[in-house]
Amino acid sequence: MENSLPAPWQKALDQIKTWARINSPWAIHYNSGSCNGCDIEILATITPRYDLERFGIKLQGSPRHADVLICTGPVTRQSRDRLRRIYDQMPDPKFVVAVGSCGISGGAFHGCYNIVGSISEVIPVDVYVPGCPPRPEAIIFGVAQLLESLKK
Amino acid sequence: MNTLFALIALMIFPGGLFVLFAGLVYEWADRKLVAQFQNRIGPRVFQPLADVIKLLAKEEVVPVGVNGFLFMALPIAALAATLTAALYVPVVGLAPAYSFRGDLIVTIYLLSVLTLCIGVAGANTADRFSLIGATRTLTQVFSYEAPFMLAMLGPAIMAGSWQISEINAYAASKPWLIIPQVIGFLVALVGLMGKLELPPFDAPEAETEIVAGAMTEYSGRGYAIFRIAKDVELVIGLTLVAAFYLGGIGNPLEFLLKTVVLLLVTAGLQSLFARLRIDQTVGMWWRVGALLALLNLLVLVGLRMLGWLGVWL
Ligand code: SF4
Repeated sequence: MENSLPAPWQKALDQIKTWARINSPWAIHYNSGSCNGCDIEILATITPRYDLERFGIKLQGSPRHADVLICTGPVTRQSRDRLRRIYDQMPDPKFVVAVGSCGISGGAFHGCYNIVGSISEVIPVDVYVPGCPPRPEAIIFGVAQLLESLKK
Repeated sequence: MNTLFALIALMIFPGGLFVLFAGLVYEWADRKLVAQFQNRIGPRVFQPLADVIKLLAKEEVVPVGVNGFLFMALPIAALAATLTAALYVPVVGLAPAYSFRGDLIVTIYLLSVLTLCIGVAGANTADRFSLIGATRTLTQVFSYEAPFMLAMLGPAIMAGSWQISEINAYAASKPWLIIPQVIGFLVALVGLMGKLELPPFDAPEAETEIVAGAMTEYSGRGYAIFRIAKDVELVIGLTLVAAFYLGGIGNPLEFLLKTVVLLLVTAGLQSLFARLRIDQTVGMWWRVGALLALLNLLVLVGLRMLGWLGVWL
């Protein structure tokens, strides 16, 4: 099915698909055990001041509609299965952005008894946004980097 | 020749591709207007197109516990119904491609198919959010459908015809019908917003409480088709209301101006009001909407029988 078209057509089709993907990343936000600092920043990011809709970014409620999983905080033992399940529920192609130092290494919660560790220990992560918490500009930059990497 | 004409009417203009693109443009205009009302910049022109292409290219997950055939067929049925409705309304101010006595009723039914399909699609999954969404969608149908129909009947009764093209011609030849029936116009416009589940009537897809309502389990193609169907219905609904109440639609310019003015009003209403609870929606429609529309209709019938309709006779 994938390669049944002649090469130039297939290439054009792929280009259109990539273009559409870059221009319409729908996000879903999940808190896998963060202190809520990062979540507040994410909510600040989607306020009219930063207006992510001009990039086509939209916060979706259902994992089935989302392309980008924006995940905050370290992964606690409680939320490991939920995080996995949300990731599995998302249709391909899907990407993960880990927001905050905690998502990178466990951050302030590193070594806690109830922590599994960083997000990448549970699901593959495409982009890390460091900061405790990162500024909205940094989060937008992170997503922009992700979109940039899609072009290749 | 006849088949060729029919094919073109079905696939390109006014039935197929044209309304699809018009729908995408109107969705953009709607989102842009709402964004401007909220002091934002808003999406780019090609945003709805990119959304749809992206969704079409995405993996489609068919969840466990659904009827696979229904899951695939419902979005297609919804789109087919709305596209069929496009054949009977004067899109872009040209005469409808097909027209017969009583096509108003058929069109109104075709416009309801989308909502029914969404309701059934929600009920077809094992997921509780979809079920709640489906229940709300179908509950809402019962609240706005009757008032919307009554509001559409107002101009039909004044024109003494059930044919959309005749009502359109009648509305164009007389002073605007919104003057004698402001109530009917308001009910029709707000009913259209209810049909499209725009805020404040978006309780069926309230993402803050029930994820995405009936659409929760749809990903990829199915969701894309439902979105397009909704956009097409937006265009058709705006055309109908403009043709009936804003003095008919005779040429493309008129079409553009009148529908955009209507879009401005609906976008304003969308950003003005917060979401209503489902019981508030139903209560409002039956206590206020239906009664007003009924009153409007009774007065019209009375005036018509007494012959006091003045210039509109
Ligand atoms: S990075 Fe900082 S703000 Fe974010 S979850 Fe960790 S501790 Fe909280």
